[in-house]
Amino acid sequence: MSAIAIRKLVKRYDGVQVLHGIDIEMASGEFTVLVGPSGCGKSTTLRMVAGLESVSDGEIVIGDRVVNDLRPKERGIAMVFQNYALYPAKTVYQNMAFSLKLSRVPKQEIDRRVRAVADILELHELLDRKPAALSGGQRQRVAMGRAIVRDPDVFLFDEPLSNLDAKLRGQMRAEIKLLHQRLRNTILYVTHDQVEAMTLADRIVIMRGGVIEQQGTPDEVFHEPANEFVAGFMGSPPMNIADARADGDGVLIGDARLPRAMPGPSEAGRRARFGIRPDDIGLADERPDIAVRLPVTIDLVEQLGTEKLFHFSFGGVPFIGKADGRATLTAGQPVHATFDLEQCYFFDADHGARLR
Amino acid sequence: MKRAMLAAVAAAAFGLSANALAATEIEWLQWFAAEQNADFYEGLVEEFEAAHPDIRVKLVTQPFGKVRESIVTNRAIGVGADVLGLNMPWTSEFLELGILEPLDDYLALESNGFDTARLVQAPIGKIDGSTWMVPLNAFPFVLHVNLGLLERAGFDKPPMDWAELKEMAVAVSRLEDGVSGIGMPFSSQPPANGPILTFLPLLYSAGGRIVDGTTPDFDNPTVVETLSFLQELDEAGALTPGVASRTGGVDLEEFIAGRTGFLISPAVHASAIVARNPELDYRLVRVPQNGSKAYRVHGWELGIAADSRHKDEAWAFIAFLLSEGVNARLAEASSALPGNLDALDDDAAANDPVFAAQRDILENDEPVEELRQAPRTVASWSVMTEEIQSMLAGDQTPEQAATRVQSRWVDLTR
Amino acid sequence: MLDRLHRATPYAFLLPGLFILGTLLSVPLYKVIEYSLFDNVIIEQQPRFVGLDNYTELLSDGGYWSALLNTAIFTIGSVFGHLVIGIGLALLVNADIHPRARTLFRSLLVLPWIFTAVVVALNWQLLLNPFGVVNYSLQAIGVTDEPLDWLGDPDLAMWSLLLISTWRGYPFIMISFLSGLQSVPKELYEAADIDGANFLHKFWHVTVPQLKPVIYGVALLDLIWTFQLFPLVWLTTGGGPGRATEVLSTLTYRLAFVDFQFSQASTVAVTILGISAVFTMLYLSNESRRTRG
Repeated sequence: MSAIAIRKLVKRYDGVQVLHGIDIEMASGEFTVLVGPSGCGKSTTLRMVAGLESVSDGEIVIGDRVVNDLRPKERGIAMVFQNYALYPAKTVYQNMAFSLKLSRVPKQEIDRRVRAVADILELHELLDRKPAALSGGQRQRVAMGRAIVRDPDVFLFDEPLSNLDAKLRGQMRAEIKLLHQRLRNTILYVTHDQVEAMTLADRIVIMRGGVIEQQGTPDEVFHEPANEFVAGFMGSPPMNIADARADGDGVLIGDARLPRAMPGPSEAGRRARFGIRPDDIGLADERPDIAVRLPVTIDLVEQLGTEKLFHFSFGGVPFIGKADGRATLTAGQPVHATFDLEQCYFFDADHGARLR
Repeated sequence: MKRAMLAAVAAAAFGLSANALAATEIEWLQWFAAEQNADFYEGLVEEFEAAHPDIRVKLVTQPFGKVRESIVTNRAIGVGADVLGLNMPWTSEFLELGILEPLDDYLALESNGFDTARLVQAPIGKIDGSTWMVPLNAFPFVLHVNLGLLERAGFDKPPMDWAELKEMAVAVSRLEDGVSGIGMPFSSQPPANGPILTFLPLLYSAGGRIVDGTTPDFDNPTVVETLSFLQELDEAGALTPGVASRTGGVDLEEFIAGRTGFLISPAVHASAIVARNPELDYRLVRVPQNGSKAYRVHGWELGIAADSRHKDEAWAFIAFLLSEGVNARLAEASSALPGNLDALDDDAAANDPVFAAQRDILENDEPVEELRQAPRTVASWSVMTEEIQSMLAGDQTPEQAATRVQSRWVDLTR
Repeated sequence: MLDRLHRATPYAFLLPGLFILGTLLSVPLYKVIEYSLFDNVIIEQQPRFVGLDNYTELLSDGGYWSALLNTAIFTIGSVFGHLVIGIGLALLVNADIHPRARTLFRSLLVLPWIFTAVVVALNWQLLLNPFGVVNYSLQAIGVTDEPLDWLGDPDLAMWSLLLISTWRGYPFIMISFLSGLQSVPKELYEAADIDGANFLHKFWHVTVPQLKPVIYGVALLDLIWTFQLFPLVWLTTGGGPGRATEVLSTLTYRLAFVDFQFSQASTVAVTILGISAVFTMLYLSNESRRTRG
């Protein structure tokens, strides 16, 4: 297994720069996830590591080699594509064996390795089928099998679960995680789904507009977001964020007041952005331990089963809170919402950086 | 308003068709207007219609290659022209199919504007007791000479006999790359008539024949002698390379462009040569002799379709075309000799050396026309072409070529 | 009642076209088969019925078999040439080049197909003339020192014809293949790249399997068309020199319009029909297999 280092990576298309200097250091055996909205440059970065896109500036190091000018097959990588990219005219066995065949690996060796991987992924009954005769999940496993058979230094995943339905996605996520625990391979994984990122990653890299907003462990990026974008991106439902004005030892959101001072110099009227996760807004009946409780009227209730989300207006700004799934709530009902102000965040009003 | 317009159109159509019903319409199928100025022929038609208000002539022009086909296939479906433009070599097969109407009675008419005895006799000779065609014009086969090339090769006048022809052709071929003495158009592309364009004129100037009565007679000493002459020309390097892919059209073009010293073809090409390349130092002479002062005669003929329903009107038109004044103009327009020898213009001969040379041949040499009686003529040309190709490629001797042509031709006639 | 009328309306619109096409196609077809069973049609007003005599006579004629052999050589050679050149050029044009350059090349490379047979034949006759450009170039670079008679030498004529036919017909294959190439998912090539495939591997393992049905269909169509091809051969060599390039279609024409043997010509035509029908069935069965599976 190799470590990957991406240093000051820049990508230009026809004079338009889309990656503005990416720096990521991945340790060997680490599961790194690149996550961000569409167009943030995560796929571009992955494809540059794979060798499918050229490097405009900066360098990519796999193991101890700078691979900028190496062709994909020389880099020791294997890739799992979003659309699986299985060879339609070949059987599952042939799909997995193809790269080994090209490398002139002896037939018996190919057979041994393909069957070993087929066992791990429970594909041994499907070896003679063609991709058209497989379900989405089976195809994804074959795509992974094809990658694993190559025994590469690095695995690259390009949104592999996007084409699966929600239930299957959950199952495959678990399988990928198990596989990683078992094989301990270096993985670079791209997704737009922050839940996947949170559950799979050892390290998350959040990107936007061609730059890295924050990188760190899932705990770090979730609980200590570096800026408003990261705070709003991670977590579902997303963090409640509103404009706030300093008001002595509290802040004003619209005409509502929360008893929590804004960090930094406290001139009256200083503006910032205030953030609090729905998880930290509850119902007074369920959260007797939280002191701050304010009367609100419920606008909308979303039933998730294990919990209910209640939408309300606070200082003219829509907020979301969480209640137990068995609570009786209806739209229009007046309740007391608890605000756990130990767990709130402030961000600079102009450039979103976290204020401490 | 709309109703009135409709009525007016209907009345006009009715009136026109009524007018048309009064006159007899005859159709003239030919290729002449395709090869020369079409307006001239339309003018002739108008002139005739003015003099004969009860006859309308519809001019149907097709390329030469198509006319022969059209005559046969049209007849099969019952539509056909009344006056036919014809070629003498088609006589035998058309007679077999019963396509032509005998013209003897018409030729005997007092009211004809011409004297039958003064027509070029080649197409008129009786076959099976009747005359089937009359000549619109006539052209002998001649030798076209590029005197400029000859002079460069060290000669000052055209060849008179085969030996001189060979000597001069070889010398011209040596002048430079891309120039050669004489071309031979033996391409297999239909009509594959290379042999009758070049081989026959030479054969006749040696006194030979290929038909005996109505039977093929290709395997005879004079034919072998002529074939051998061709082979000698080839071996001496006098022929343009690529005889097996050369067509008559290309042969003419190459001569016009000044790349060959000699061309054997109908005299009627003279006008094209002079018009297209005035710089050429051009002469027209009789085909070099080898013992006989004979020339192959060819021309454009006219006939009447056997299943025409307006034969009298058709003959009236033909008589018009053969009358002295019209025939003279026709001859001039097609740069050929008139079918009606009374229309020969003495003045023209005096002014134009090319014309004078043609006239000299016409009046002093023996005209030969065999193909009228030759059986399966058109098919036989392909056979001759193939065997001559084979001979010039070195795959058989002239004797073998002659024998093979004879046996294949006889097979065709079975 | 009204509903039935509604459903019949599309057929009513089709009817005139179907009727005209049907007549134009079926009547000549019927007549030709009829002619092949008689003797001396068109020439004679009352042709004689001879049954299958024309066929037995034809099948024992050496000229027919040699024409059939020539047709096979010409057809297979041309289609092979079309496939190689067409596919090769399609791959080149599909490469990663500037889109404007790609459009330019694609337009240029399609040109041979646009010209009619007459133009193609005349131009190539000029080029292949013993004193033409081809010989001139070959002599200039020293490949030959004698002018070669490309269309008049029995050993060269068929090769020359194959060259001309290949030149004329490759664009059809090229365009079909090119549009097929666009439909191959780019990711398959990327996966192959990562698996370590070079250009040839990618062509054989990714492109060809995806495009096999297209190639098969298009090659069959080309086979059917080339098998019956008439103008190009007739106008270039007329079946010659000798009968070196005589194919079934030129034989038919020659029999009909040079020799006026319309019955024989019809017989040859019917054999062409028979062989073409076999190819057509192959094509149709491939098409149905493709749309089904």
